[in-house]
Amino acid sequence: MLKDRSLGEPDWLSECRRDAMVNFEELGFPTQHDEDWKYTNLTAVSTKEHVIAEVPNQKLAIDDINSVGFEEVDAHQVIFLNGRLIPELSCLEESSLEVGNLLNGQNNHLVLEHFAKQTDTVGNSLAALNTAFFGDGIFIHVPDRVIEKKPIHLVFVTIAEQVDQFTHPRTLLIAGQDSQATVIESFVGMGEEPYWTNTVTEIVAAENARIQHYKLQQEHVKAHHTGFLFVDQARNSNVTSHSLSFGGRLVRSDAHVRLGGEGCECTLNGLYAVMGDQHVDHHTTIEHAQPHCKSNQLYRGVLDGRSKGVFNGKIIVRQDAQQTDAVQSNKNLLLSRKAEINTKPQLEIDANDVRCTHGATIGQIDEEAVFYLRSRGIQSEEARSLLTYAFVADILENLQVDGWHEPLEEMLFDWVQQAQVE
Amino acid sequence: MLEVRNLSVRADGKDILNGINLSIHRGEVHAIMGPNGSGKSTLAQVLAGREGYEITDGEVAYEGENLFDLDPEERAQAGIFLAFQYPVEIPGVSNLYFLRAALNAIRKTKGQDPMDAIDFLELAKKKMANLEMDSTMIERSVNAGFSGGEKKRNEIFQMSILEPKLAILDETDSGLDIDALKLVSHGVNKLRDPDRAMVVVTHYQRLLNYIVPDFVHVLAGGHIVKSGDKNLALELEEKGYGWIEEAEPTK
Repeated sequence: MLKDRSLGEPDWLSECRRDAMVNFEELGFPTQHDEDWKYTNLTAVSTKEHVIAEVPNQKLAIDDINSVGFEEVDAHQVIFLNGRLIPELSCLEESSLEVGNLLNGQNNHLVLEHFAKQTDTVGNSLAALNTAFFGDGIFIHVPDRVIEKKPIHLVFVTIAEQVDQFTHPRTLLIAGQDSQATVIESFVGMGEEPYWTNTVTEIVAAENARIQHYKLQQEHVKAHHTGFLFVDQARNSNVTSHSLSFGGRLVRSDAHVRLGGEGCECTLNGLYAVMGDQHVDHHTTIEHAQPHCKSNQLYRGVLDGRSKGVFNGKIIVRQDAQQTDAVQSNKNLLLSRKAEINTKPQLEIDANDVRCTHGATIGQIDEEAVFYLRSRGIQSEEARSLLTYAFVADILENLQVDGWHEPLEEMLFDWVQQAQVE
Repeated sequence: MLEVRNLSVRADGKDILNGINLSIHRGEVHAIMGPNGSGKSTLAQVLAGREGYEITDGEVAYEGENLFDLDPEERAQAGIFLAFQYPVEIPGVSNLYFLRAALNAIRKTKGQDPMDAIDFLELAKKKMANLEMDSTMIERSVNAGFSGGEKKRNEIFQMSILEPKLAILDETDSGLDIDALKLVSHGVNKLRDPDRAMVVVTHYQRLLNYIVPDFVHVLAGGHIVKSGDKNLALELEEKGYGWIEEAEPTK
């Protein structure tokens, strides 16, 4: 059950925040001089004085929540508004999970053990900033051997009534041994003003745990979004994370995965569709630290207008990680001459018995295929929509959440129509 | 049904067709034969509306209308079908979705209601059985990973669903073994109809043993150099294209 938010902050948290702030001040905002931020210019964020988002005047009703498939997907729902948990819109009854507010983490040894442990190690200033400033955060524990079939849907809503507010959503998911669960994190924005969401998700998967994680990013088109996913996997665990990115003006989504036990499997899939002046950047790092692990990455992007995309996929294979099997693929479809994509695989391999493959493609709509469809009576615009949709279809095929496929498909079709009109 | 008058076509700065005249009526099957580079495929492509060709002279009337006023999809909706020499692979789009969308687009122009998925599947399965196609093929992506023979059969399958008035078969026989050729020809012959015209473009006489044409035209250097009945194809097989090229009238 959700617990009330505590009034004063306990020592463990103040300490975390203090360390994080020191960390952030040392590192500062990333700049384009950092190799990892070469193509993503954060000055639109770093030069502004952001303030912590306030509770908006506008009331949020459950029907206002417009993230794709929110209605159709049967899930345990937890709703956040401008960084605050809204208990009356959230529903976690009948779940076999332990769920709580991170601000009350002192009551749970798992939180004390795992919170901010992964963010600390990587010198990530924005993740540190999140630790320093997060408001209500959520902690989800899937106990050992618990199989939770119903997804947990966390919806982070921003209603931006004032200019340059920021929120720092924070999620900690701990999956016990042999457990199984699905978590969806959706980010949606309303209101007129620009805002910034800076989110951190930490996942700890114990031996043989199976976790499906989805991030759906539909921020307001004026919004900035930076998001960091950290995954720590133990022996034989299996974690899949999908990033579906459609909204926002400037978006950065990172995933850091550590395969820390033998026989782990990790899948990172991504789908981004952007137009106008949107900028979307995915950086992934998968560290194979132990033998016999498998990782799979499949990212597809569709870019229209003057939009820009970035994909950087780093695979690190440590010396002990023999029999590593790592596959990475990034394919991009450019619908306009002014759209731009920078894609780069990065391999650091210190073991000798490994299979690592990577591929990146950038292309346009196949005019032969357009003609083929037209020659059968299908309108030119419909042919283009169909081919654009087909380009990303295999990402949607991989989504394993009942009821989600159809609304997403519809949204993508609408997106393609809109892209053509532009 | 189709009147081609003095059609001249240029592509990439080269004259490919130089004054083609052809008159096709409903119920007729015309074979267009010719050596490589003679312009046969260009003729088929131009009739279907592929871009990249410049019409330098002449005109084509289809059912009394100027064909060049119609977009490729409008031609398809008006009953023209091109069986591609190289059918395009479209990963991510299922045959089922694609073909139902096509059929319903054509039905719409005829003022008919769209066919629902269940009725369509039933129709598709029946037609596939005629062509001895594996019924799982309907769920697969259009031509993706199909063998050459499967692709050609898929073209004829599409034709059998869309039931065109004018079917243009562009080298449907090339690359087929004899069993596949018989199947495809059988499928085509089932579609012969007093109301339907066919243009069979081929390099080889072999196909015409199975799809027996009413007329044979031989194309060389962008001209029709000889027209006749099915016996012309046999003569050509015997004497080779050299015979025709030698006989080519100087322009």
